[in-house]
Amino acid sequence: MSARDNILARIRSGLGLPGTAAGAERAQIADYIARNPRGPRPSFDATDLVARFCERSVKLGSTVERVASLAEVPQAVARYLKASALPVTGVVWPALQALSWQEAGLSFQAREANGLDLVGVTGAFCAIAETGTLMLLSAADTPATVSLLPETHIAVLDAARIVAGMEEAWALMTSEREGLPRAVNFVSGPSRTADIEQTIVIGAHGPYRVHVVCHG
Amino acid sequence: MQLTSSLFKRNVRHKLVDASLQHNMKRFGGRFSQARAIAMLEVDNLEAIRTAAAAIRDRSLAHLDSYLMAFEERAMACGTQVHWAETAQDVNRILIDIARAHHVKKIVKSKSMVSEESGLNEAVAAAGMAAIETDLGEYILQLAEEPPSHIIAPAIHKSVEEVAQLFSEKHHTTLQTDIPALCREAREQLRPHFLSADMGISGGNFLIAETGSVVIVTNEGNGRMVTTLPRVHVAITGIEKVLPTLNDFSTVLRLLTRSATGQSITNYVSVLTGPRRDHDRDGPEHSHVILVDSGRSRLLGSELQLALRCIRCGACMNHCPVYQNIGGHAYGWVYPGPIGAVLTPSYVGLENALDLPQASTLCGACQVVCPVKIPLPELMRVLREKSFRLGLRPWHERWAIRAWRFAADHPRLYGWMTRLAVRLLHRMGGKEGLLHRLPGLDGWTDGRDMPAPSGRTFRDRYRETRP
Amino acid sequence: MQVGLFVTCLVDMMRPRIGFSTLKLLEQAGCVVVVPPDQTCCGQPGFNSGDRESGRAMARRFLRTFESFDYVVAPSGSCTGMIRCHYSQLFPEDPALQQRLDALSARTFELTDFLANVLKVERLDSPYRGTITYHDSCSGLRELGVKTQPRRLLARIPGVHLKEMSQPELCCGFGGTFSIKLGEIATRMADNKCHDALDTQADAIVGGDLGCLLNIEGRLRRLGDRRTRVLHVAEVLAGPEPEQD
Repeated sequence: MSARDNILARIRSGLGLPGTAAGAERAQIADYIARNPRGPRPSFDATDLVARFCERSVKLGSTVERVASLAEVPQAVARYLKASALPVTGVVWPALQALSWQEAGLSFQAREANGLDLVGVTGAFCAIAETGTLMLLSAADTPATVSLLPETHIAVLDAARIVAGMEEAWALMTSEREGLPRAVNFVSGPSRTADIEQTIVIGAHGPYRVHVVCHG
Repeated sequence: MQLTSSLFKRNVRHKLVDASLQHNMKRFGGRFSQARAIAMLEVDNLEAIRTAAAAIRDRSLAHLDSYLMAFEERAMACGTQVHWAETAQDVNRILIDIARAHHVKKIVKSKSMVSEESGLNEAVAAAGMAAIETDLGEYILQLAEEPPSHIIAPAIHKSVEEVAQLFSEKHHTTLQTDIPALCREAREQLRPHFLSADMGISGGNFLIAETGSVVIVTNEGNGRMVTTLPRVHVAITGIEKVLPTLNDFSTVLRLLTRSATGQSITNYVSVLTGPRRDHDRDGPEHSHVILVDSGRSRLLGSELQLALRCIRCGACMNHCPVYQNIGGHAYGWVYPGPIGAVLTPSYVGLENALDLPQASTLCGACQVVCPVKIPLPELMRVLREKSFRLGLRPWHERWAIRAWRFAADHPRLYGWMTRLAVRLLHRMGGKEGLLHRLPGLDGWTDGRDMPAPSGRTFRDRYRETRP
Repeated sequence: MQVGLFVTCLVDMMRPRIGFSTLKLLEQAGCVVVVPPDQTCCGQPGFNSGDRESGRAMARRFLRTFESFDYVVAPSGSCTGMIRCHYSQLFPEDPALQQRLDALSARTFELTDFLANVLKVERLDSPYRGTITYHDSCSGLRELGVKTQPRRLLARIPGVHLKEMSQPELCCGFGGTFSIKLGEIATRMADNKCHDALDTQADAIVGGDLGCLLNIEGRLRRLGDRRTRVLHVAEVLAGPEPEQD
């Protein structure tokens, strides 16, 4: 008997179930997963999801700028970097390389990030108003390291893709994609730690700052 | 991790007079509790969510084998290799085998309490590899060669001065006590390790049966680093951590982060499914999950099954007045506080942790805050019953309890005994009406006086006044 | 309304005047109070130490002693908690017995809960004067929801001024046999409680459970404080009792 068999057998005997899982049990599990019910959650005013998202993002320590259209994003990013005295070079998701970064005076390479990149620009699959959270899916043209290694993470977000809660984010993903990517990363503000004397310090291993440029 | 739970009383004695620990625990005091209370203010239906979260955990446990098999099937379909470890030793063996197969030299680790159960770091070192802890708290403790004292904030027992001293010694840097600067120092020390490690080890807050995913919930970003940068990722987690669906996870997450640190959500929540895909530019090439039993399956079907609901938020210890006074190390194993008082005897054997279920006033503060409604006082009582039944408690304690039961069930004998006792104690109390010393009750009188009784029982007096 | 007074073993032995205060409060409110002579202990010390049989034996005795009353009242949240919350799981093999016990448990009340919520007492003519601080004993608070009841009653006494501690709900460290088995932790917890109480500058610490009060007073006296009084809420609500020593 393998370790797997032993463990599964112990579980079944502990639960007082017969030898091996019968079809009915498996069907029950499959049925529950297929029904995929949503649980109760705290209520919040969902009339203006964009406003809620912005408010919660700021609460998490991010900064947010709203612009009218995607075309205005590079200029907004350039303004932000210059105003914060940050480098105007960095790395951008290949998915966003078509934007006119160069015209805005920015020198971004479209690739995954390495340990030397100081600024990383990503998009977002969608965002969650309830908590001010960005949802990033990893893929060839949306590499996960861009939101992780650089000290500054800039996220380009389509206002139309702000949903109420995590459940709506999953539903959106399921409706648009086949299965899960390698990594779904929910990002809620700059990295932090409170491991020394419970004092919150912004900037642990990940970015020191998260700036969201929300268009539309 | 070395087990010292059987020395609980000795540990307590040391901790109560450890001035630096006491100072640090006072500072810790109510901070997490306050943060939790504030975070819960915006949850207008907390009870409904707790009930739902408990039901989700119960559903997972009631069909644990089926959900684990569903998880395994989907994880494997996505390219994750699933390993099963019956014991803590098996965890180390499996991990080292994986590491050798991939020619691993350097390992970076994010926090995994399960790996503390098996003393993984020592085993890995003995096998000739380096495992570097990267959670700031765990990193501090690895430098200090100490075990964690809290499941969420492992270095809670340390002051900034102690950390500063340690960093300066180990990093050969000038002493600095500015907390952000110390965090930056750790970041700079660890960044090269993230970039050069061959393998990343993480825990797993949850497994998702629906998708075959491992979920990690973190703040520092080290969890993302160890699961993204090295070519091999191994997640180690207990078999009880499976949840049916991503929606279930969303429900439980709302309580987990608020209960733990008072955050409505942590900075990072990563749902990891398999290794890097074709054309992906980053992510590990190999993904493994080790599912650990190590005593967990024993609890299923027992009176202690509800302990397996635990989602490791740490709220029970944050609110425990005993934990607040003695810290986590006194409990002598991986899991301190009320949940530790239940899990440790269950996982390492009651006879090796006999005092832990007794280490509670059963005040109930833990049960009130538990996000998945584990009746912790009740479970501690179950373990006390087991100790009593198996004759594991000291003979005088068992004798005294039986004698009291017998007397209390014979009212005339009881009346006569209590009449004598209060008369005697009244005399011993003298003019002050205080007993400074009581033979057999040193546990009380070592630190407290006993206010003496007034000499006659209520019932005797009542009989006189109202014939 | 006939009320059986369950005086509890600690009050019976250690501080009878709490029993008389309870009696006075109930009678003033118009209850016919009976003190069954065969009562002893609720069984909690043994039950919480792992001897389930203690709980069962005492539950049977409690049923025999008190089943005939309309209500049972005890000046203790801890003993009432034992009856209300734990007697219900003791006889799974005997549903008939369990049902009778459950019916009796439902009629069993902690004193302040009974006065405030069942009798809805409006008037209390206690002459007590002074600043007090109130310790919420754990069982009463978390098992029975006793929190506002004693405060509402105390507020009806003109001479009483209540000053809250920073953590009135924090356990004092008594915990029954815990206070002896792990005396060092219990002492430290009592110490914390004493300091929190002393910081309010109240001249009396008041609570609803004698176990906690003995623990707090014991530590207070050992610390050298002879001045701060430690009183059961019944003593404050009833005022001085002729039978008192």
